[in-house]
Amino acid sequence: MYLPFLENEDFMNILTRLELWRKDGTISAEQHVHLAGLSRGEPFSFFFELNVLLYAGVLAFVAGLGWTVSTWSKQLGDVLILTTLLAVLVVCFWYCFSRAPAWSPAETPAPNLIFDYVLYLGSLTWSVGLAYLETRFQILSGQWDLYLLLTAGLFFFLSYYFDNRFVLSLALAALAGWFGITISHWPSHQDDVYRQCALSYSMLIGAAGVLLERHGLKPHFVATYLNVAANVLFWALLSGVFLQESNGAWFLALLVACGASLAWGLKRRQFAFVAYAAVYGYIGASFILLRGARDFIGVLGYFVITGFIMVGGLVVIARRFAREM
Amino acid sequence: MRIYNSESEETLLARSLLKDWRGEGFLSEEQYQRMEQETVCDLRRTNIFLRLVLFLFTLLIVCAGAGMFLAEGKTTGVFLLLFAAASYAGAEFAVSEARLYRYGIEEALVVCSVGFLCLGLQSTLLSGHSYSLAKGVIGSLVPATGAIFSLWIWRRFGLSYAFLAAMIFVVFLPGHWTSSQSAQHLMVVILYAAGLAGVVAVRPRHRFNYLNDRYSLVEAFLWLGIYLAINLQLSSLTQLRHWWGVPLASIEFSRPFYWTTWVLIWCLPPAILARGVRRKDRYVIAVGALTATLTLVTNKSYLDWPRHSWDPMLLGILFMGIALFIQRWLVSGPGGIRRGFTATRLSGKDKQWMNAGSFVLGQLSPQLIPPSAQAGGLDVKFGGGDSGGGGASSDF
Repeated sequence: MYLPFLENEDFMNILTRLELWRKDGTISAEQHVHLAGLSRGEPFSFFFELNVLLYAGVLAFVAGLGWTVSTWSKQLGDVLILTTLLAVLVVCFWYCFSRAPAWSPAETPAPNLIFDYVLYLGSLTWSVGLAYLETRFQILSGQWDLYLLLTAGLFFFLSYYFDNRFVLSLALAALAGWFGITISHWPSHQDDVYRQCALSYSMLIGAAGVLLERHGLKPHFVATYLNVAANVLFWALLSGVFLQESNGAWFLALLVACGASLAWGLKRRQFAFVAYAAVYGYIGASFILLRGARDFIGVLGYFVITGFIMVGGLVVIARRFAREM
Repeated sequence: MRIYNSESEETLLARSLLKDWRGEGFLSEEQYQRMEQETVCDLRRTNIFLRLVLFLFTLLIVCAGAGMFLAEGKTTGVFLLLFAAASYAGAEFAVSEARLYRYGIEEALVVCSVGFLCLGLQSTLLSGHSYSLAKGVIGSLVPATGAIFSLWIWRRFGLSYAFLAAMIFVVFLPGHWTSSQSAQHLMVVILYAAGLAGVVAVRPRHRFNYLNDRYSLVEAFLWLGIYLAINLQLSSLTQLRHWWGVPLASIEFSRPFYWTTWVLIWCLPPAILARGVRRKDRYVIAVGALTATLTLVTNKSYLDWPRHSWDPMLLGILFMGIALFIQRWLVSGPGGIRRGFTATRLSGKDKQWMNAGSFVLGQLSPQLIPPSAQAGGLDVKFGGGDSGGGGASSDF
């Protein structure tokens, strides 16, 4: 039997396999033509490259916009700057609202390639405009937390209305900024307060993400919520563990969080959470166990032994739960 | 020569494609199940996150183990060489016996073997020797061995980042042979170009098998390496050597060499892009686009022209304009296809990359949100800006 594309090799490549599957009736002739074409890069999709180009374009444009506005504000004048920013904002939001598909709580594909990036451009321009307004006119007397809260609210609305993960990430970051800046006004010990703030933030967005998913409201956003929540939570707990005194409760909380992250990761087959549990848990446990250790060889021996235990445990998990890529 | 047999690697590629096609609806579930049963592979793989964590912990074990021996104050160089051999043997064993494939463990072991080999050689050959000897031919043995061993790792295990490591080792070679900066740049370019010629010659034989992607990535690395060695403003070599302790101010180039490189940084990106598009090679196209961007970004530095605050805006408009033009041109073709290219998504991997990218980049770009507030300085004022200096003297 003649097998195409086998000239120099002693193994079956994908084209040969497709040919065999067509011959034994596993796939139709049309499917064979289509899949063989895809294997040969015919047609070749520029989808990813165009998205990257648009993203880089938006980011470069907004960076230049911010730089120009901050550098030339006196020469250009407030009216020109605000008019320009407003014009960009209005055009972007007009474009998005006029072309948005009918809203659905499920995942909604963008109507065209540039739609998501126009919304992203509008959102970033909003941030630049707001920063300009406050630094120039102090409308809210330097109350940056209110700006961030307002921005977070707007970005959450836009991300859910237009089903845009870029803007959702901006919303989560703005909300984190609000938590941080609000807490910084409190007259208290900063580290403790920031830790509590980070814990509150991670709990809030983690719970919100899960609840929204359960209610079927853009359930595909849950991974973004939980990844941010998990990282902030683990950083906060680790900073508590690193305290010299009274860190037992923090360590206990870290272990509970690691258990929860591991269970979630295995149940949902989201192995990023297994990795978080392994790495953050190991760092916290090692800090507790090695605190005050003076024997350098002993410390290295600890890393060798515990490293083997971790590798063994992870291999078991990998073999039972994560065989495929 | 390769530790994995071609049949297994080709089968893995087939499984990956089948999974993708099922996700895109090109295959029914029933078809997928049947075809999957015919593409069974004995290699053990795992998820990317577990791969990363396994890599980290294996690295920790090996480094701590080596540290235990070295802390005893024994003959360091010999022990490092022994550890290099043991790590490499461990990697070979992990693949041949446990059939690990991109599992993190065997990767960490080969990375350690390269690191230990170079450190061991450095310690054995150069400890107690004079600076001139370290700078001479003997000194070049360390990067040369590192480059050759990394190339072996790439060939044997198929790890593309081992090829990148070999390229980085090559950067340190010419410094041991000549003190001329121009000659050093030229030597690196010649070595990379020789590698590129070899890859270009070999690639056509593997157009439709699993090695195509691997050679594609290597070709892209080499193009990028050549460009970085040519573009003096990016100072890949000078910067690396600066970390090595050589002051940057002492590095100067002759005018003909300087302007030749300026011409080349304009000629190279179109050539790379043209090759990538002609061969429909994603990695080479990406490097072509990247080098074109770097040329635009570094051109003013080359010509000693002042930078302006609106330069990034123009670059952004250019990017968006190009993307829109290409998209519209492709969409207007019959069936959304022109000359074998389309703007339509054909692979689920594109979507996965977009989702991961939107999460990671979305977390980074908020640095644009009230920058002054993030810096903690609320007493920011706008105004000022002097023309001719790109507004560098303005206050904000």
